[in-house]
Amino acid sequence: MVRTRLCPSPTRTTSPKPWTISELSTEHMSAPTGPSASPLKPSTSTPAIILCGIFGVKYLSHLMLTCMMNWISLNMLPILTQKTIKFDFCRHHRRWVAEKLGADATSKELEFTKKILSLDAKNYHAWSHRQWVLQALGGWEDELDYCRQLLEDDIFNNSAWNQRYFVVTRSPLLGGLEAMRESEVNYTVEAIIANPENESPWRYLRGLYKGDTQSLVNDPQISSVCLKVLSTKSNHVFALSTLLDLICHGFQPSQEFKNAIDALKTPDSDPPDSGLAKAVCSILEHVDPMRVNYWTWRKSKLPAQAA
Amino acid sequence: MDSQQNSSSLFFDRDRHVLFLQMMYQLLPPEYQGQDINRLTLAYFAISGLQVLGALDRVDKEGIASWVLSFQSFPSNKDEPNEGQFYGFHGSRSSQFPAGESGVLIHNSSHLASTYCALAILKIVGFNFSHIDSETILTSMKNLQQPDGSFMPIHTGAEKDLRFIYCAAAICFMLDNWSGMDREKAKEYIVNCQSYDGGFGLIPGSESHGGATYCAVASLRLMGFIEDDLLSKSAPSSIINVPLLLDWSLQRQAVDGGFQGRPNKSSDTCYAFWIGGVLRILGGFKFIDKNALRRFLLTCQSKYGGFGKFPRQLPDLYHSFYGYSAFSLLEEPGLNPFCVELGITDIAAIGI
Repeated sequence: MVRTRLCPSPTRTTSPKPWTISELSTEHMSAPTGPSASPLKPSTSTPAIILCGIFGVKYLSHLMLTCMMNWISLNMLPILTQKTIKFDFCRHHRRWVAEKLGADATSKELEFTKKILSLDAKNYHAWSHRQWVLQALGGWEDELDYCRQLLEDDIFNNSAWNQRYFVVTRSPLLGGLEAMRESEVNYTVEAIIANPENESPWRYLRGLYKGDTQSLVNDPQISSVCLKVLSTKSNHVFALSTLLDLICHGFQPSQEFKNAIDALKTPDSDPPDSGLAKAVCSILEHVDPMRVNYWTWRKSKLPAQAA
Repeated sequence: MDSQQNSSSLFFDRDRHVLFLQMMYQLLPPEYQGQDINRLTLAYFAISGLQVLGALDRVDKEGIASWVLSFQSFPSNKDEPNEGQFYGFHGSRSSQFPAGESGVLIHNSSHLASTYCALAILKIVGFNFSHIDSETILTSMKNLQQPDGSFMPIHTGAEKDLRFIYCAAAICFMLDNWSGMDREKAKEYIVNCQSYDGGFGLIPGSESHGGATYCAVASLRLMGFIEDDLLSKSAPSSIINVPLLLDWSLQRQAVDGGFQGRPNKSSDTCYAFWIGGVLRILGGFKFIDKNALRRFLLTCQSKYGGFGKFPRQLPDLYHSFYGYSAFSLLEEPGLNPFCVELGITDIAAIGI
């Protein structure tokens, strides 16, 4: 095993000699072997990665393309890229190869990322690559359904919610955000009711009205899901903060809302003639104590009509 | 790796952390071999960490400056900076090849992140920046900026995303010269990276992420597109959705007191800095639960010195550095104040 100085003495009489592959592979590197070796753990042993690091991507790309393109194929790359998920070199090289192959590579690349995501459903780099494939090569047809599957497995998977937004807003096969809004609101409301403490669908719901706050305020489904959650014995934080934002943007709460908020007030709360928004902030100070300073500040910054 | 008994979870053990960094500075364990290409970055963690802890006297500043400068690459003639290559700093000796017989640099693997780390280290050790050939760096850095405003880290091709915009902005800021990048284009790219939930992803459309959000906000601040302490201004800049960003960032503090990088993920030491830093820039750090954060970070503190990613894990240089930075934000006594946007102490940033 080798220990190396972090900042070795800069005085050199000879030019630095690059490590040879044999030195690296026999003396320095210990390959993760055996059933316990996770395919996702960054490996120090994969020779191609060392090659990338020493000779530069362009050199290796040239070598692979001219000598090995026919038989190395994308079947080799999954092994290399899976073992070194965090290595930028190989992901970029994979993209470079896929670009050369064009639409033929689409299903293979989507399968590849699917495989990684089946092991690590939130792997950031796998999702980046998948988004790149969809935009550069296509394959949007099954993507919304794929998101639905992932969310069935884990409704808390924020990456899957983000991907859903990506598909709904960018897929050339769907009608765009406004056209998809109604069905997406229905889907999201269902997810919220099932797990009101789940931040992801609340953010997604808001996102469906990005750039159109007035429609958010006017959609009765939005305010009613807040009311529904507030009337149950579940986590109220996101329902309250969403309601607060609605009020700040002009929502006029009905008596039903006032009753629901009244039911949640604590004995030491604000005077009875304080506005509903102020009451919501006070409740948030209690039910979300981690952010008490924030809710106090929000209370002090309420727009005049909401206070 | 066995889980360890953490006996020092009651106080920030500065002396032990100094020893940990000294050890890493002198000898890197074999587990870091796979990261050798990023050696300059590892050096930045150790050296900047020592300065945060007020222990920079432990290192040979002049020796470090010479070592860092030895990684700088130069064109063989003055015209080359306009021929597509980037002439910055290599990350390690293993990616730095001597010039060929004709004096031409055959494999120039100058990397934007390594260049940022190199300049940060030089700032830390008080190197006189008028001695740096900044023109070559800045002129050639323009070659790395893409039409959409993002940056590639090396001219031979690699991922293009927010991380490298940050590196470019920090480089220009430290060299006090913005000719190395088109700030307007970079700003457009950053704005496009703000997700529907208020956070920022690394690429437009990507999931919002703590590290990406830091890169976005710090870059905008460095480039002068947002003011410091935005929230206290009566008419704050609105090129980004600040209220949504603030709400998203604050919600990243989880039940255990630590910060998570994305919703519904585990708290991790480093996000105390990435998200904490964002909040500091916006003027919202006062809204977090500092005691809860401190308690969480202390569970990640190792009895060997340093910080691990999660509670009771063995320490690594990266999480250690960001743990120290977070404690500096928490105003831990004995630690130097941190310039969040640059990733170095205020002392280094100001150049005293």
